[in-house]
Amino acid sequence: MKKKIGVYICHCGGNISDYVDVEQVRKAVENEPGVFLAKTTMFACADSNQKEMVEDIAAQHLDGVVVASCSPKLHLITFRAVTERAGLNKYNYVHANIREQVSWAHSDNKPGATEKAIRIVKSAIAKVNRSESLEPVKVSATKAVAVIGAGVAGMRAAIELAEAGSEVYLIEREHFVGGRVAQFDDLCVSTETGKTLVTRLYDEVMKHKHVTLFTGAEVIETSGSVGNFNLKVKVVPRYIELRCKEHQLQDAIDVCPVQVPDEFNFNITMRKAIYHNYPSEYPQLPAIDIKNCTRCGECEKVCENINFDQKTEYLNLKVGSILLATGFDPYEPKRGEFGYGEIENVVTLPQFKRIMHYSKDKLMYRGKQIKHIAYIYCVGSRQVDGENKYCSRYCCTATIHSAVTAKNKFKDIYNYHFNRGIRTYGKQEVLYDESSRKGDIYLQSFEDAPPVVEKKGDKTIVKITDILTNNKELEVEADLVVLVTGMVPRKENSIAGLLKVPKGRDNFFNEIHMKLRPVETVIDGITIAGASQGPKNIMESMNSALSAATKSFSIVNAGELALEPTVAKIDKENCEWCGKCDEACPYSAFTKIEYNGKFIAEVNETICKGCGMCLPVCDTNAIELIGFTDKEVESMIDALV
Amino acid sequence: MAKINPEFTKELKSYGAFDVNACYNCGNCTAVCSLSDEENSFPRKMIRLSVLGLEEDIQMSLDPWLCYYCGECSTTCPRQAEPGELMMSLRRWLISKYDWTGLSGLLYKSFTASLTAFIILATGVLWFAAYQGFNPEKLLHYGHYFEMIAIAFVFAFILLPDIIRMWWFTFSKEHSKIPLSAYTKAIGDLFVHMFTQKRTLGCDDSQVRWFEHLILVFGYLLLLFTTVFLDWFGTNNTFVIALGYIESAIIFVVTFIFVLSRVKKEKEVSKHSHPSDWFFVIWLFLMGFTAFFVRLFIDINILNTNIWLYVLHLIVLVQWALLIVPFGKWTHFLYRSFAMYFIRVKSLNTK
Ligand SMILES: Cc1cc2nc3c(=O)[nH]c(=O)nc-3n(C[C@H](O)[C@H](O)[C@H](O)COP(=O)(O)OP(=O)(O)OC[C@H]3O[C@@H](n4cnc5c(N)ncnc54)[C@H](O)[C@@H]3O)c2cc1C
Ligand code: SF4
Ligand code: SF4
Repeated sequence: MKKKIGVYICHCGGNISDYVDVEQVRKAVENEPGVFLAKTTMFACADSNQKEMVEDIAAQHLDGVVVASCSPKLHLITFRAVTERAGLNKYNYVHANIREQVSWAHSDNKPGATEKAIRIVKSAIAKVNRSESLEPVKVSATKAVAVIGAGVAGMRAAIELAEAGSEVYLIEREHFVGGRVAQFDDLCVSTETGKTLVTRLYDEVMKHKHVTLFTGAEVIETSGSVGNFNLKVKVVPRYIELRCKEHQLQDAIDVCPVQVPDEFNFNITMRKAIYHNYPSEYPQLPAIDIKNCTRCGECEKVCENINFDQKTEYLNLKVGSILLATGFDPYEPKRGEFGYGEIENVVTLPQFKRIMHYSKDKLMYRGKQIKHIAYIYCVGSRQVDGENKYCSRYCCTATIHSAVTAKNKFKDIYNYHFNRGIRTYGKQEVLYDESSRKGDIYLQSFEDAPPVVEKKGDKTIVKITDILTNNKELEVEADLVVLVTGMVPRKENSIAGLLKVPKGRDNFFNEIHMKLRPVETVIDGITIAGASQGPKNIMESMNSALSAATKSFSIVNAGELALEPTVAKIDKENCEWCGKCDEACPYSAFTKIEYNGKFIAEVNETICKGCGMCLPVCDTNAIELIGFTDKEVESMIDALV
Repeated sequence: MAKINPEFTKELKSYGAFDVNACYNCGNCTAVCSLSDEENSFPRKMIRLSVLGLEEDIQMSLDPWLCYYCGECSTTCPRQAEPGELMMSLRRWLISKYDWTGLSGLLYKSFTASLTAFIILATGVLWFAAYQGFNPEKLLHYGHYFEMIAIAFVFAFILLPDIIRMWWFTFSKEHSKIPLSAYTKAIGDLFVHMFTQKRTLGCDDSQVRWFEHLILVFGYLLLLFTTVFLDWFGTNNTFVIALGYIESAIIFVVTFIFVLSRVKKEKEVSKHSHPSDWFFVIWLFLMGFTAFFVRLFIDINILNTNIWLYVLHLIVLVQWALLIVPFGKWTHFLYRSFAMYFIRVKSLNTK
C-alpha cells in the first residue's frame, strides 16, 4: 500500500467542471487511504501544471499519481511521461477518465455526474495503491529485415532498408520480379511504362550488396517475435543454369510442346512450360514451370543449360522485422456477371490492357476489329450485396487512362464509360478532363440499377438507365465490353495466417490505426506496404513502402528493444496445461513446456500484447496480467460499487 | 431505348458549337439561367442530349427557342463547354431540320455555299437591271412587285411548310391528342411574343437589349408595311415619306450598334459570331441604309442619274428576302414565337 499518492482533478476548462463539481470530488478523495495531496487544476495537461506535478512528485516523494481528466487515449502517455521526468516509475501512474465517461455522458445530471466521478477517482486510487514499478521487457534485435513480395512496393522498401544499413532478404514467390506493374505497359500518371519502372527498381536492388533476392521462394514456417523472427523459406529452382546461352534458351522455349494459359496475360494467350513473361524480364533467365512440365526432354535436346537435377532448397533466415508487400489480385468476375465468361467479347480491364499491348495498328480481339468500347465500372468494388464494399481507388483513373491510350494509339475508337460516379481524385482529374474533351461519353447509374450486357444476334448491347439524362434508357452497341475490375486480396495469402497478421473487414492486411499508425500491424515487428493493405496506385504503394521500411528499420536498428511489461504471467504451480489459453490467444504467445514433471504454459513476453483474452478461460486461475492483477482490478471494483 | 451517337457533336460543330464534350454535368448552367424553370429546364439537358447524339429528342425539344442567349451559362460553366453557344447552334440545327428545302442546313454549314448564293442573286439582279436597260421607272416598278411576290412566295412555300414541320416534330408523340381548342386558346401568345419578344425581359441583363430588339422589330415590320403597302418610294404623301425615313433610320442606327458590339465582342452573346449572324445584322443595316438614301435621292431628284443606288438596294433586298428571311436568322423570330405558342398549347393540354 502506498503512503504518498498525488491526485489531480482537472476542470478541462469547463468541459468537466461545468457538470462535475470538481472541488467536491477533491474533498471526497483527499482522505482516501494513501492520498497525500489532492488538487484541482484548470488544465492538467498544460505545461504549467505538468511542471507543478513534476515538482510535487520530486519534492514530496510521491509514490503514486492519479490524474482525473479526459480519456487515457489522449493523455495517458503524457502523464506517464510526467512521472518519469520526476523520477517515479511510470507504472505508478493511473489515469481516471471523468470527461468522456462522466461529464460528457451525464451532462443532464450534475449531482449524479459528480457522484460517478468520485467513484471513478476512488477506484483509480485503489489501483495505484497496489501498483508496482515495472521495467520494460528487453530483447536484442537482429539487424535484418525480410521483405515479402518483390513487386514495386517490396523492391522500393528493400532498397530503402539496404540504404539505411540493414541486411535485407527480398523473398518473391514468382520466378520474376515486378508484381502487377510488370504486367501493365502504359501507366498513369507519368509516362514510363511498367517495365521501365520495374527495371529501374530491379537495377537498384541488384546494386545493393545488402539485398539478397530470392525468386521462386516462399515462407513456409515462422517462429519467434519482434527482433528475432525465424523464417523457413522454400526456394523452388528454375531448372536452368545461370550463364546460359541466350539463343539456345529461345530454342528451348520454341520446342517445348506444352501449352498452358498465360497468367501473366490474364489468360488471353498461351505460354510454354519453359517460359519468361517478356524477353527483357528480370531476372533475365527463363524458368521451367515444373507443375506443367511433362519432362518430355525436348528442351534438353536443344539447350545444354537445362538441369532437372536442381533441387528445392529450404533456408532458415533470422530477421528482426518482416515487411509484407504481397500485393493484390484483380477481381475475377463471376460467370455471367455482366456477361463475363458467357459473351465472348466481355473482358476485364487487366485483360484489355494486354489486348492493347498485343494490337499493332488496329485494336483487335479474337480476330475482330474493335471500335466501340463500353467500360463498366466498379465491377467487384462498392458492392451492395457482395463482400467488397470498398472502392478500389485505382480503377477509375486506370480505365480512363486506358481509354485515352486506346484513342491515341488506334484509329476510330469510341469510348463509353458506364460508371457510378467518377473518382479520378487529385491530379488524376486531368485525365478525366482529357478523355471527355476527346469525346468519350460518360453514362451513370446508381448501384441498384447497374448496366445490362446482352447479346442480340451477333451484337453485344450495353443498356443503362442514365441518371444524367433524366433516367432515360440508353444503349450502345459495343465491340468490346471491358469490366473495370477492382482489387481484392491475394487468393493465396497463407503468409497472413503464418504470421497472424490481422485482416480488416475487406480482408486486406490491417494496420493499427488508419491515420496515426498506417503501416504497423498489431504484431510487433511486422509492417505492411503496398496494395496488400488495400487498394493503392503505384504512388501510394511507394509512399507506404517507404514508411514501412522506415518503421521496420527503426525496429532492427535499435539493437535492443524495450517492450511493454504489461504481459500475462503464469503461476507455474497452479498451471496444469489444459491448452485453453493457447486457443484463446490471438497472437500465439503460449508454448507448452515441461516443468517439474508436468506440462505447463509459458508466455513469450515479446509476443504477448497483454490483451487479457487468456485470463477468463483459465480454470485454475493460473494467469495474472502484470499491471492489471486480480488484486488491483478487484480493489477497483470494490471502490466503484 | 435510344441509341447513342457520338458522331453528332462533330456535326453540331459545323453549326457553331464548341467543346460540348467537356461538360461534366454539374448543372451550373441550368442553375444560373434565369429563363430555365422546372418545366423547361435547360441548357444542361440539351447539352446532355447533344453529347449523346439523341437527335430525335433534340428535334422534339423547344428548349433552344426559350434561350435568348444572355450568355450567363457560358460565363459560369467551369469547363468552358460554352452551353450558350450550344443552344445557339441547336437553334441553327433545328432550323435546318424544320426547313424542307435543306437549304438552311447547307447555308449554315458552308460559308462558301452562302457566298455563292449571295453572288448568284446579286448577278441575277444586275442581269435583270441591265436587261431593263437600267431604266429607273421600270426598276422601281418591278422592285415594288418583287417585294409583294417574294413575301407571298416565301411565306407560302417555305415558311409555312417549315412551321408545319416544326409542329410535326414538336408534337411527334401527341399530334392527335391535342384538342383544337388548345390551339385557339393559345393563339394570343403567338402574337404577343411575335411582336414583343417579351420573354427576353426574363433575362437578368437585358432590359436594354430587349428595348433595342423591340424597336428593331417594330421598325422593320413598319418599314415593310410602308414600302410594300404604302409604296414609300412611289408616294407623295409627306406623312408616309417622313414615316419611312424614321423607320429606315431606326433600323440602320440600331443595327449599327449591334454590329459594333459584335465587333467589340464585349458581351457573351457577341463572342462567337457565326457568318449567319453577320449576314443578318449587316443586311438589315444595308436595307435600312440604302432605302433611306433611295428615298432621299428621289426627294432631291438625283435617283435617275444615280440609279446604281437603287440597283444596290434591290440586290440587298433580294438577298434578304430570298436567303436571310427564309433560311437565315430571320426565321428565329418566327420559330421563337411559334415555340412559345406550342409550349402554351402543350401546357393547356396537360392541364
Ligand atoms: C489493370 C490495372 C491497371 C493499373 N494501372 C495503374 C496505373 O496506371 N498507375 C498506377 O499508379 N497504378 C496502377 N495500378 C495499380 C498498381 O498495379 C498497384 O499499385 C501496384 O501493383 C501495387 O504494387 P505492390 O508491390 O503493392 O503489389 P504487386 O504488384 O501485387 O506485387 C506484389 C508482389 O508480391 C509477390 N507475392 C505475393 N504473395 C507472396 C508471398 N506469399 N511470398 C512471396 N511473394 C509474394 C507477388 O508475386 C508480387 O510480385 C493498376 C492496377 C491494375 C489492376
Ligand atoms: S475507383 Fe472508380 S471504378 Fe474503381 S471502385 Fe472506385 S469508383 Fe469504382
Ligand atoms: S455549366 Fe458547363 S459543365 Fe456544367 S452542366 Fe453546364 S455545360 Fe456542363
